[in-house]
Amino acid sequence: MRNQAVKKRKFSFADFGIYALLWGYAAVVLLPLLLVLGNTMRTTRQIFQEPAGLPTSINFDSYVRAWQEASFNIYFFNSLLITVLSVLLATAVSALAAYILGRYIFFGSKFLLSFFMAGLMMPFRLAIVPLFMMLNNIGLVDSRMGVILVYAATGVPFSIFILSAFFRQLPQELAEAARIDGAGEFRIFGQIMLPLVRPALATVAVFQFVPLWNDFFYPLILLRSTEKWTLAVGMTRFFGEFQTDWSTLFAGLVITTLPLIILFLLATKQIITGLTAGIGK
Amino acid sequence: MRIKHNSTLLKLALMLVLLAGLAACSGQVVQPTEGEPAASQEEATPAQEGAAVEAPAEDVTLTVWSWRPEDEDAYNEIFDVYEAANPGVTIEFVAYVNTDYNNILATGLTGKGGPDVPQVRSYGGIQPLVEAGQLLPLDGEIDLANFPAAALKSTSGLSDGKVYAVPTGVQAFTAYYNADIFDELGLEEPQTWDEFIAVLDVLKAADYIPISTPAKDVWMLPLVQEAVGATRYGGPAFEADILSGAKDFNDPDYVASIQLVKDLQPYFPDDVNGVSYVDSKTLFLSGMAGIYLGGSFEVGFWRNEGPDMNLGAFPVPPAPDALVDTPLVPGWYDGSFGVNALSEHPEEAKEFVAWMATPEYGQLFTEKIKMMSAIPGMKPTDPLLQEFSDLFAEYPAAYMHLVDFRYGDPWGSNLMADGIAAMLLGNMTAEEVAASVQTGISQWFTPAQ
Amino acid sequence: MGETAKIPVEKSHRKTARGVGRSAPPWPTVAAFLLPAFMLYTIFMIWPLIQAVYFSMYEFKGLSREGFIGLGNFKELFTRYPLNEQLPRAFMHNIAFFIGTMLIQNTFGLLFALLLHGIRKGKRFFQSVYTTPYLISALIVGYLWNLMLNPLFGPINNILKAIGLEALAHPWLGDPATALPTIILVNGWQMLGFPLLLFSAGLAGISDEVREAARIDGASRWQLFTRIELPLLTPVIGVITVLTFIRDFNAFGIVWALGGVGGEPAGSTDVLGLVFYRTAFQGGIDAFGLASALAVLMFIFIFGISTLALGIFRRLEDRLT
Repeated sequence: MRNQAVKKRKFSFADFGIYALLWGYAAVVLLPLLLVLGNTMRTTRQIFQEPAGLPTSINFDSYVRAWQEASFNIYFFNSLLITVLSVLLATAVSALAAYILGRYIFFGSKFLLSFFMAGLMMPFRLAIVPLFMMLNNIGLVDSRMGVILVYAATGVPFSIFILSAFFRQLPQELAEAARIDGAGEFRIFGQIMLPLVRPALATVAVFQFVPLWNDFFYPLILLRSTEKWTLAVGMTRFFGEFQTDWSTLFAGLVITTLPLIILFLLATKQIITGLTAGIGK
Repeated sequence: MRIKHNSTLLKLALMLVLLAGLAACSGQVVQPTEGEPAASQEEATPAQEGAAVEAPAEDVTLTVWSWRPEDEDAYNEIFDVYEAANPGVTIEFVAYVNTDYNNILATGLTGKGGPDVPQVRSYGGIQPLVEAGQLLPLDGEIDLANFPAAALKSTSGLSDGKVYAVPTGVQAFTAYYNADIFDELGLEEPQTWDEFIAVLDVLKAADYIPISTPAKDVWMLPLVQEAVGATRYGGPAFEADILSGAKDFNDPDYVASIQLVKDLQPYFPDDVNGVSYVDSKTLFLSGMAGIYLGGSFEVGFWRNEGPDMNLGAFPVPPAPDALVDTPLVPGWYDGSFGVNALSEHPEEAKEFVAWMATPEYGQLFTEKIKMMSAIPGMKPTDPLLQEFSDLFAEYPAAYMHLVDFRYGDPWGSNLMADGIAAMLLGNMTAEEVAASVQTGISQWFTPAQ
Repeated sequence: MGETAKIPVEKSHRKTARGVGRSAPPWPTVAAFLLPAFMLYTIFMIWPLIQAVYFSMYEFKGLSREGFIGLGNFKELFTRYPLNEQLPRAFMHNIAFFIGTMLIQNTFGLLFALLLHGIRKGKRFFQSVYTTPYLISALIVGYLWNLMLNPLFGPINNILKAIGLEALAHPWLGDPATALPTIILVNGWQMLGFPLLLFSAGLAGISDEVREAARIDGASRWQLFTRIELPLLTPVIGVITVLTFIRDFNAFGIVWALGGVGGEPAGSTDVLGLVFYRTAFQGGIDAFGLASALAVLMFIFIFGISTLALGIFRRLEDRLT
């Protein structure tokens, strides 16, 4: 029905205006980013001489330098390991909790939901010292495991916030049917409910992934050995007290951001579907 | 309804991977922190019984932390010299980002796996570490005779007067100039304030920015005030009066020294409050500005990014009505190395910082790091740095708000920085800036009498 | 349990949502579902928070805890110069930051979502492009816009000068009057993808039957928007408002990157996150206790307002749909 309605319309003057607007804003987004890309192909000296100049040649020296100087292959592995495991852990435990909190009302369920919500409002750097002291006491400083657990914990509030809303909206009949067939709560969760909120899981996972991938604060405080550092921490090596190697820094930041862009491109469709199912209806 | 069994399997598989991954992580990672750190070294020791008794003979790795990533290569070269002379000792240099360093260090000195030898801030900056007992006192432990008293004050605990770190660098702040531009316009280093203003006028008339200075990154502003105004308020004599309580910052001479910065504003870049630290350096590097008010800590930067620049330095001449009739070059001790109280190799660490107190290290430091050494008499190889060194030796003064007024909250330097920035915007007068400094500092500072 | 699950007509009603209301499974099952998240979250987030509250009532020297001083740190926050002046100023800036961001996100986010909803080609492409800045760390965004807006070398002022609009060339980040609005715009630029995706999803979720019915009734495009789409988007606006509020009151990275640690020029872009950072890491010996107190206050405020806002939006949603 909708398709017919759309097909009837011709490419009109209004459409032209809409596309002009859309392309216009796309330029506002992309042009500044190109400026950064351009600066990765210039030396830091050139950047200082003429900050907003154009590159004179296409070269990737700074990328090579960033990759080698900052041992990016190690950092890349660490970033991937830490971020992926944190996101998986947070999403897994949140899905379990969100299912119960979203599907059932029981004594304390409302309180628990706002208890989990409170974490959303925590100032980012607030509790780093108490957190550090605790991890130190249980031997989780300078351990990737420690960072993963902390990251996963920070992902729990947001994930429960979103996932419980999704679970709440799934029709009751499915679960009932399965229950008549003798399925237990875990089977209903795992076999019926979880597959239905797959787009939501993707959404929650991606929205956790981005800030964790870019974060350098927690690993800087919680990790000691350089061989455990992440890409974002590696980037801070290019920031001197008074001298910054801009060219290498930007190349490094481009390398760091690329995986995110790819991930996001792959996941956009899932995210839109996920969000639509969660908040649209 | 589409209920696929395979997707549940997928999820189970993911969970398994996750669990396996976590287990693998904990296996690799937690162990070293759980067990005694020495355990890993025992394996490497061939004769176990002997090693247990004579521990010091073992190979030792000392970790050094710093906030200067730009010095990583230079420090590694310096430490190579120590390693060569001390077989069995390995020095590992780890640099962290300056802006988060205080935080990293405070936590790093709390737990295991921290540095053995951390680079620590001077003056007020070292006090929280001292008060928390995180550094070992060094008096009587190592020979500090090479340092002047002022240097040792920069690393002493305020409450107990003990020395907690070996000072390494000293900074001075004055005027750089682009000698090519000066030649082109037939200018010479000014000897008097009138000549200084005449130079600025010529530069301005020739469409150069006379003085490149930032007012967006406000931390430079108190330095600018010291560089142009220390003579006006009386330099070290005034500092002594402030510390004794004979004068306070509302003193008219001090107010006048702040006003000097406002008077020079026409020679700063337009919209100076929008000019960042990086911008101001760019202006000077790209030949758009004739003079840059800067520090000896920037010599390395100019050499790296502007190797073809022809640079000189001169002290800003005494201002009109100055209480001191020679120029003054403000300076401060900057950067020092202490020993972590929780270090597992305190003896080796002390030996190492003892080496940092020798002229051998001082000379290496000034050559490789391109900064002035805290040990007097070291010879920088860079002529520009030598010039700074000579100027500071001839016209010494203290960057008062860093040296004396960072021992409490708020810092004198922050109050000055915010005040001068507001003054340049026209939001505050020099009197108000001085009053703000006085109000802020008097909350925690009591003159010694 | 008196209520039976209603057959959903158009919308879901929170209290009578389809699945909710059934009696819960036995408590061991409930516990098994809740415990992993509860443990992880309590140990690594709530416990440190409780510790921070506890620490905020002690005097600190460096990281070493000294005597109990009750509300002493809190009192210091409001009496110590210049903190006592910076704190209310930063608070007002956070409010401005939040309101400005909300205006940008809800107008432009919704506008682009509507435009994208109506086009045939390139929807995914534009969505992805507009979301790219969200993926980039505040470091790049800060550098990028510092350069773009630079009064000396920035392309924006150069372009304005080149096309004869010299009068509009301005030190955007160097003038206290324009610095905060500029940072709000840049923040909007970076975050636009977030409301865009949410609004897109919301619009896609409005069924075609509803739109068609309105069209048959002779509703104009504007009426369709104000009477059908906007009310149905209330939950989306609610989610965006609360998440934006939380983020903007914790704002740190982007403001630091564009205005420096002091919120330059002249504190005109100072926000609570920066005050916290300065108090904690550039303060005196007692900084840790003071910073803990500030963090606790920020948390209480953000938590209180967000909870209140969530409740209001839920009620509004029930009334409008």
